Amino acid sequence: MTRNNDEGRLELLQGTLDMLVLRTLQWGPQHGHGIGQAIRSQSDDLLKVETGSLYPALHRLEKRGWLKSEWGVSEANQRAKYYRLTALGKAQLLRAQDRWSLLVNAIGRIMNPARPNEE
Amino acid sequence: MRPDDRSLDEEIRGHLALSIKERVEGGEDPEAARLAALREFGYVPAIRDSMRRVWYSRGFDAAGALAQDMRIGFRSLLRARGMAATVVLTLALGIGANAAIFSVVRGVLLRPLVNRDENRLIYIRQSAPGIGAENTTFSVPEIDDLKSRSTTIAAFGDFSTVDFTLIGLGGEPRVVKAGVVGGSFFDVMGLRPVLGRLLNPQDDGPKAAGAVVLTYRFWSASLNSDPAVLGKTITLGPRTATVVGVLEPSVPYPADTEIIANVVTSPHHLGATMVTSRAHRMTELFGRLAPNASLDDARAELTAAHAAMMRAHPEAYTGKGSVQLKVTTLRDQIASPARTILLVLLGAAAVVFIIACSNVANLILARSVRREGELAIRAALGASRAALRRTLLAESLVLCGAGAVLGVILARPFVAAVVRYAARFSVRALEVTVDPTVLWVGAGLAIAAAVLLAYVPRLPSAGSPAGLGLASGTIRLTPATNRRLRVFATTQIACSFVLLAGAGTLLATLVSLETAATGYDTRHVVVFDVPTSATGVGFGDATVMGFYHEATRRIARLPGVDDVAVGSFVPWRDAGVFGPPVSFTVDGYEPENGEENPRAGFRIVAPHFFAVLGIPMIAGRDFNDEDGAGAEPVVIVSQSVAQRLFPNGDALNRKMWWTDPYFGSRRQPRRIIGVVADADDEHVVAGPALTVYHPFRQIGVASRLFVRTAGDPYALVPAVRRVVRELAPDQPVERAATLADVRSAVLSPERLNAFVFSGFAGIALLIAVVGVAGVLAFSVSARTREFGVRLAIGSAPRHLLAQVISEGTLIAAAGIVAGALGGYALARTAGKFVEHVQQPGVVPVVSAAAVLAAAAIVASCIPAARAARVDVMQALRSE
Repeated sequence: MTRNNDEGRLELLQGTLDMLVLRTLQWGPQHGHGIGQAIRSQSDDLLKVETGSLYPALHRLEKRGWLKSEWGVSEANQRAKYYRLTALGKAQLLRAQDRWSLLVNAIGRIMNPARPNEE
Repeated sequence: MRPDDRSLDEEIRGHLALSIKERVEGGEDPEAARLAALREFGYVPAIRDSMRRVWYSRGFDAAGALAQDMRIGFRSLLRARGMAATVVLTLALGIGANAAIFSVVRGVLLRPLVNRDENRLIYIRQSAPGIGAENTTFSVPEIDDLKSRSTTIAAFGDFSTVDFTLIGLGGEPRVVKAGVVGGSFFDVMGLRPVLGRLLNPQDDGPKAAGAVVLTYRFWSASLNSDPAVLGKTITLGPRTATVVGVLEPSVPYPADTEIIANVVTSPHHLGATMVTSRAHRMTELFGRLAPNASLDDARAELTAAHAAMMRAHPEAYTGKGSVQLKVTTLRDQIASPARTILLVLLGAAAVVFIIACSNVANLILARSVRREGELAIRAALGASRAALRRTLLAESLVLCGAGAVLGVILARPFVAAVVRYAARFSVRALEVTVDPTVLWVGAGLAIAAAVLLAYVPRLPSAGSPAGLGLASGTIRLTPATNRRLRVFATTQIACSFVLLAGAGTLLATLVSLETAATGYDTRHVVVFDVPTSATGVGFGDATVMGFYHEATRRIARLPGVDDVAVGSFVPWRDAGVFGPPVSFTVDGYEPENGEENPRAGFRIVAPHFFAVLGIPMIAGRDFNDEDGAGAEPVVIVSQSVAQRLFPNGDALNRKMWWTDPYFGSRRQPRRIIGVVADADDEHVVAGPALTVYHPFRQIGVASRLFVRTAGDPYALVPAVRRVVRELAPDQPVERAATLADVRSAVLSPERLNAFVFSGFAGIALLIAVVGVAGVLAFSVSARTREFGVRLAIGSAPRHLLAQVISEGTLIAAAGIVAGALGGYALARTAGKFVEHVQQPGVVPVVSAAAVLAAAAIVASCIPAARAARVDVMQALRSE
């Protein structure tokens, strides 16, 4: 994969990065680089997380007790810090998901008011 | 848990490695892949910082840098141990003294009393400054008048002091000082019991049962806080009373009593004299302000009421005394005697602190000159001025912090000493304990000192080439630095001079007090308090007379006793207990127009009194056993009375009588049978004493025993006590002391003042001498080369010696002049705000200057000798 053109890429909504990180780690421990790549590939290259936002976010989540970190060896044969979801983190992810669905739903109602009787 | 910088770096490296690997696998050239990965990552230090910032606050980082500097400072100070130790010790003295004195000032002057709504509590005092009566107290009719004319005072409380012989709380019978109060007293004072109840209006009146409340100190110290004391019956002189409660810890005012009793316990308080005589003053008066009334309102109203009262009863108020009323809050009243002395002490401590700081500033300045090279190199390498300043601040924080810790440790014994000292002036000092204030004051002073000291040295500017030249390690003293050193040394001398002159003045006062002629033979007379009836009644009681007569007869026969007599008044110790002098007149004396009758002290003595105390008889005869109740009333007068009223020298056989309303209307004439030399028993500095002595057997009770001996006076004490106890087993025999020791005890506040102040001055002198010597030594070592050259071209060593000494003398002289000017201004200013500021005399000031000048010259001798011994060759090679 070479450098992508930034056109067509979406800005992350304020406050959603934490949720995306937690969600990504649901599948198992991962290092910062892997988390960034996962978000990118799962969003079909629509979302790209800046390292300048990702790493402080990882440390913030760790400080709040939602993540735990340990050192491991990466595919590049180098020491890398792996982050893992804690029980607190899982609970937080559920809360964030609920709020997110509510938010999407609410915004959807406003943006598409034409089909009020569907539900 | 918190990642450190290394782990953050490693995490970033891991990310970059993965990113590069991915690109290389995608077919990129490794070098291009590395650059691309870095570009994609962003500015590494900024991202690492934002990761750090999650875990560490900005303040943490700044503190970390300062801590790092402090570690370095600590290590570099270990290499200059002598200097560091001097600085720490000097600061510790300054900080310790200030912290200790400030805690006492806070405890005594600033802290509120425990009394409920203590700011509404006022103290009312009547005084007659015209006749030297600071506190005449009040009589019952006066209190009634003030009560009836006042609306600004919600309630009045009264308190009078009497001595009781107390039996029934264990131990020997003894005389206790007791308060006698009305039922409103405790409510007005706003105090609560810790046990039982306090006295209330139901305890008033002659029909109530005797009731006493114990003060907390007496209960806890003498009775081991025994709760079983409640309900006990005790004997107070002729009456009995029940212990009903224990008072909470509170400031004992107006008197430090052990018990407080209701009026019925004191027969005297129920007597007609007490209740009806306007001139019979023995009661202190307190009040609680009415709601909405201010202290000023109360003052205005009470002053007006008092003036009206004086107009209505002119006979009871001497015009000469210019009787007046003073209304203050109780807190101010309690603090006032200690205010001046504590503020003076605080000032002295502050001066010591200034001296300590100047000295430390000098040492630090000298040190910073030595390390100018180091600072110049750091500046050249790009250290910001803030970073250099931080280095200096870190070092002075280490020094001052150590000084503060040591100072606070020193403050504990200081506080104990100052409390014992201040307790002589204000009972509140006894409540002062070492509390966190000491820590705060210590820390505050240390930080203030550290910041000041960090700004004393000048920083080398990065651009100046002179700075780098210094890096070779030679010392170069710039004129500016030299000036600063001298200014600090001069400050020390000036401040020390103020303290020394002050201490000298106090010492001079003390010496003149201690050596003043007293009119008594103080060393061979031992006095005892032997109160038979400790409530002041029993005038002329025959059994009491018999007891004293027999006791003196038996004591006179003891081996070693030369003579013995009974009197009413222990010189100095009993000062004030008889109140102000009372007015009298003699036959043939016509007061001039507007003049009032003369006033004299009223004393009662037994035969031999004058012989025992060494007061010479000038004319006539002493009292003898014939001068009894049925015989002709006679008196002996002091020489001043005789000279003033009988200028022709014909005092003998003339008549005198008391005219004071205190004596009622029976104006009994008494014949003067003798004249004795003046002996001022009220004042430690003897003035002319107008005294009229009455024979013990004619007028009443005198309960002080005076024993004269040629041997060791204190060796007689057990024998005298045994003899008295043989006659009356329950009789207290107390406070045995020679007259010299009585006087010495009365003078002890003056002695302590002089002692404490001399201590401060001594510390100041020591620091200042070290300071001058240090400045000169430094200046000599900085000028080694100069001295070498001068010696090489033929200067005589003694010229160099003389020059350095004259530099020291110049610093001392400048300091003394500055100190004299400053001290003069200070004394002038203080005189405007504080009463009775003693202006220093010539002798103490001159001696202080001489001491300082001598000390400065001695201090400059050592560096001067070093200057004269400079090795020429070495000095010339040194640069």
